[in-house]
Amino acid sequence: MSDRIYLGLPGLATDVTTLKEVFRYRVNMYTIKEEREIEPETFAHLVSSTLYEKRFGPYFIEPVMAGLEKTPSGAYKPFIAATDLIGCLNFAKDFVVAGTASTKLYGVAEGLWEPDLEPEDLFETCAQTLLNAVDRDAYSGWGAEVHLITKDKVIKRTLKGRMD
Amino acid sequence: MNSFLTRYSSTSPDADIRKAKELYGEDEEVSEMMWGSAGGFGNLAKGVPSFKIPAVADPSSFLRMHTDDHADPSCRIKIKHGTTTLAFRYKGGVIVAVDSRATAGSYVASGTVKKVIEINPYLLGTMAGGAADCQYWETYLGIQCRLHELRNRERISVAAASKYLSNLVYSYKGMGLSMGTMICGWDKTGPAIFYVDSDGSRLKGDLFSVGSGSTFAYGVLDQGYKWDLTDEEAHELGRRSIYAAGHRDAFSGNTVNLYHVQQDGWKFIGNYDVSELHYNGPGDNVPGAPGGGYGYDIRVEGRSSSNAPA
Amino acid sequence: MASAEGGAYSYSLTVFSPSGKLVQIEHALAAVSSGTTSLGIKASNGIVIATEKKSSSILIDDSMIDKVSVICPNIGIVYSGMGPDFRVLVAKARKSAQAYWKVYGEYPPTKVLTQEIATIMQQATHSGGVRPYGVSLLVAGWDITRGPCLYQVDPSGSYWAWKASAIGKNMVNAKTFLEKRYNDDISLEDAIHTALLTLKEGFEGHMTEKTIDIGIVTVPSQAELEAGKIEGTGRVKPTFRKLSEEEVRDYLAM
Repeated sequence: MSDRIYLGLPGLATDVTTLKEVFRYRVNMYTIKEEREIEPETFAHLVSSTLYEKRFGPYFIEPVMAGLEKTPSGAYKPFIAATDLIGCLNFAKDFVVAGTASTKLYGVAEGLWEPDLEPEDLFETCAQTLLNAVDRDAYSGWGAEVHLITKDKVIKRTLKGRMD
Repeated sequence: MNSFLTRYSSTSPDADIRKAKELYGEDEEVSEMMWGSAGGFGNLAKGVPSFKIPAVADPSSFLRMHTDDHADPSCRIKIKHGTTTLAFRYKGGVIVAVDSRATAGSYVASGTVKKVIEINPYLLGTMAGGAADCQYWETYLGIQCRLHELRNRERISVAAASKYLSNLVYSYKGMGLSMGTMICGWDKTGPAIFYVDSDGSRLKGDLFSVGSGSTFAYGVLDQGYKWDLTDEEAHELGRRSIYAAGHRDAFSGNTVNLYHVQQDGWKFIGNYDVSELHYNGPGDNVPGAPGGGYGYDIRVEGRSSSNAPA
Repeated sequence: MASAEGGAYSYSLTVFSPSGKLVQIEHALAAVSSGTTSLGIKASNGIVIATEKKSSSILIDDSMIDKVSVICPNIGIVYSGMGPDFRVLVAKARKSAQAYWKVYGEYPPTKVLTQEIATIMQQATHSGGVRPYGVSLLVAGWDITRGPCLYQVDPSGSYWAWKASAIGKNMVNAKTFLEKRYNDDISLEDAIHTALLTLKEGFEGHMTEKTIDIGIVTVPSQAELEAGKIEGTGRVKPTFRKLSEEEVRDYLAM
């Protein structure tokens, strides 16, 4: 969504592409009107409002968001959030999951996550959580992608997963 | 009078006696054998197995209400479904290949299920549909086949064994049994395959594939099948077909189990991990295998513009 | 009846005159110029907006007159011109701020809210069946991106950011006065006093806590920012507030 906001949209493929464009449009309009970059928490509210607009005919997606928010002192702080398909916000301190493998992801993440992980350890935790959870979900799999978002750079890694 | 009907009806005099027995805690139908080595077949002492039935007016619709009979995925009790199994006849015998994934809804309940049931040293049954139904009734079929042998001093034919099973599941028609199986073996007539399912179908044929991934398996199987296959080629065809289904079908996968039935009985060929087959193939120097991974992107790596060399 | 100066172009519909003027807007500006004086001063650590609130009769309860209005916790406005028009704009601005909060979970930056108000005022200049709003506004607020900001909005819908400005009857004199007194590193306390002194120039009658209305913008400290929302209520700490009569009395006494 921006240099420091990432959005995951698991769900109906047509809604994924549509919403991707809706959010691109709304974030661009925000950036132009306000002459500033949108903050992750503000973006989360924008996602929530956008989804609730379609309360009685919702988009079939469950977004997850990750980013770095600017603190008043100018430092960056990790931010994650998720919503259901009609925009109920969930600001979690530990982890957020979504998609067909979400129940499995909850289980593995609950077991592997610990506070204050260093970037590489966080990557390993994410990768193992994802790979092991999708192996227990018939609808997910065929590889995985992890984006490690840090202050200075974003590292994208493609994981080799089971192909069945 | 249909004896099964009387046994499972909840409005007959039989049922009243049954309910009365349950009420007083009397339970002659369960012998102590149930808890011993008879392992669930203790109730066979009277000849035909019998089951406890829920005390409701219509037991089969009661069961259907609470289990996912394909139609209702939202129900709470999920019976394990989803499979790819195949068997084909060729000049060297019968090849039986199956996957090993068990799913309950979208949940991958197990990746190490044995879907080939070794009925006896000459007969194999495959498992698709309800895991428990297949396992129970094919084991039961094994017992009957052995009794046939003892009574007639002769091994049962594949045709007879499959018909026994077919008639048996037919008597339960409409009560929620779910099986799609292939009874494979070698008898006086040579290699034989019979497809039997819980609807009551029984078909003789050279080549079958059953389960949610069967279409994918048929694709590879039909393309590579001929009567004069060598044993190695036949093994590879079975393995490659189940791989294809494991790759493309969400409800099939994990590993492939491969069996070969010849005149002297069946032989277990091997267990192959589907992902391993995708990336590396069945291993080096496997007879019949071309070598290298089965995966499309593995085979075209560096050869097409969309798969530039890594 | 067409008025003497505007001729056929001075009716309610806002139409260009052959010379390119929108006479209705000029009339609106005239209404502003005959309104009570208001002013705003941006200081190094805040903003003050102030106005005189004269009541036409001693029988009016002047404690109930609000000429400085809070729009949202970080923004307040003051006006010169027609009171009823201002009241309508305040209602619209408050709704707009709440709508923004509903979408983004925070209140609008001063500039965004100013643009919203300016758009509403502009629309009245080219919509059928309406007349332009007869007010000029001073919008003062604080936000994380731009800090304290002071804007003036006119009936035409145009707006500018000011370091210090005055509108209304005495605006010309007041601005001259402010130009002399203003410097970039004036403190909020000094700005409040300057505001009172400026108002006093040309003030008709006695200036008391009953006859002036003051609002201030304060800049939150780093610690306050880090602390975030108020514990318990989950609301943001307001950065705009009106001065109470006691506070105004104290400033007048100093």
